[in-house]
Amino acid sequence: MPDNEFYAPDDIDLLRMENELLAFEVRFLKARLGQPAKIPGSSTSLNRLAYLEEAERDLTLLLRRLLGSPLGPVLRRSKSFRTLEQKYLHSPRLPGSSSPERLAYLEEAERDLILLLRRMSSMPFGRVLRRRKAFRTLQQRYL
Amino acid sequence: MTRTSEDTASRLRTLVYAGRFAEKVSSAELPEGCKVLSEWEVLPFQLAALKRATTLIVLDLFSFPFESMTREQWDVPLVVILPSGFDPSFLSAVFEEAVLGRLGFFDRVATADRDLWEELRLRYRWAASQRIELHCSLPEDVAAEICGLLEQEAAAPISSGEDYERIQYDLDKAVHRVQSEALGPQFAAARGVLAEDVPFEALEVGVGVGRWVPELNPANIRFTGLDFSGEMIQAARADFPEGRFDLLEENLIFPYAEESFDLAFTVSVLRHNPTSAKRTLISEMWRVTRPGGRLMFLEDFVSRRRTLGSTIYPMSIGAFVDLVLEATAGRVVLEHFEALRYPHDPFFRGGLLSLSKIGTPQVW
Repeated sequence: MPDNEFYAPDDIDLLRMENELLAFEVRFLKARLGQPAKIPGSSTSLNRLAYLEEAERDLTLLLRRLLGSPLGPVLRRSKSFRTLEQKYLHSPRLPGSSSPERLAYLEEAERDLILLLRRMSSMPFGRVLRRRKAFRTLQQRYL
Repeated sequence: MTRTSEDTASRLRTLVYAGRFAEKVSSAELPEGCKVLSEWEVLPFQLAALKRATTLIVLDLFSFPFESMTREQWDVPLVVILPSGFDPSFLSAVFEEAVLGRLGFFDRVATADRDLWEELRLRYRWAASQRIELHCSLPEDVAAEICGLLEQEAAAPISSGEDYERIQYDLDKAVHRVQSEALGPQFAAARGVLAEDVPFEALEVGVGVGRWVPELNPANIRFTGLDFSGEMIQAARADFPEGRFDLLEENLIFPYAEESFDLAFTVSVLRHNPTSAKRTLISEMWRVTRPGGRLMFLEDFVSRRRTLGSTIYPMSIGAFVDLVLEATAGRVVLEHFEALRYPHDPFFRGGLLSLSKIGTPQVW
């Protein structure tokens, strides 16, 4: 482009500029990636991984809501609850979505969520909880 | 430039997540355009409503499903109210990953507790202006105070600095996110070659109000910002007292010695300058960078000439690369390039070039 400060591109110019931008990127990538990048394989399907990640998110949210509810101080007296709190709220998550450690962690989170929901259902206030739609949704989904 | 009240009403679509306090907050008198949400209105499938919001205020941090938010939903600017009565360590342990560690330059944090704010600000590298100082504690009063403040800000005249930095596109936070995802790995790559205890000097040309300062960890990077605008330099100094910010004189010659920095970068700045000024700025960036150091340019290479707010001087990638080669006498190597497309933009518009400076050190 010349030293012309009054250059005013029209629509065709914009397309040309975009084409030039993308062509430059392709040239750069071709030069850098002489070989196609390897895609790491995984024996766990993406659907299962997504389901496990949702279970982990549901567990975290459930724990946080319990912690913020009037029942929070009572529940924190239980060692098991404190362990869950420490594990899922206070400890940093394992990075990397495809590592075996992450997968093991997510599967454990799913098991912990199922156990927690079972215990909550069998507790004296289980009936009260079942009146809540969100709790019934969690039960239907994981139990 | 002043927005009309009609513009303000049409722009202001604030969602107030009140969670357990929904009943109380619903009875508060909030400005038009504010909608109160309860715990049961933010189930994951309902979060799509966030797309239409300009701001999301989270009053009840404990019950909001941050983990279910998609990347696009995080593009809505957040105002997070820190729950009172908890110490910084507890809040960090419980909320760091869910929300606190993800808050960026376009989000706000509301608290009445100054000490709590200061500790968290340093930990998460927030700007001082991100704080909303609360003067009340009841959820309904807090909601009214914050909604009122946002309404006032939306109606306030736009300063030239704000126009440049905050409203260059309609989706500021979304644009910043895309740019940050591209720049982050390049910053890490530039830093990565040096040992942790070796000081790393970074220079941003056209630092504006300092929106890239939080992206560079002050624990192992010394940040210096340079800008033409004294007003913006003042704002950046107030926001990040630990950074160094200098004024760029009209001759565009940087007030630094040769080979002073390991990284010199600029984001959406060169396009506001005519070709001769671009040439000088690139040449100066090259001069102050050490051999082996990086030069990074994140610019728009598809644009019209326009003069609304500040003038844009269009340039294509080919023209820009020629200019860089001319200004540096070809003494650079292209390390990385990627084209960027911003959300809701039909064009791939942005491009990030990362270059290494080659040569023999003149300064030891």
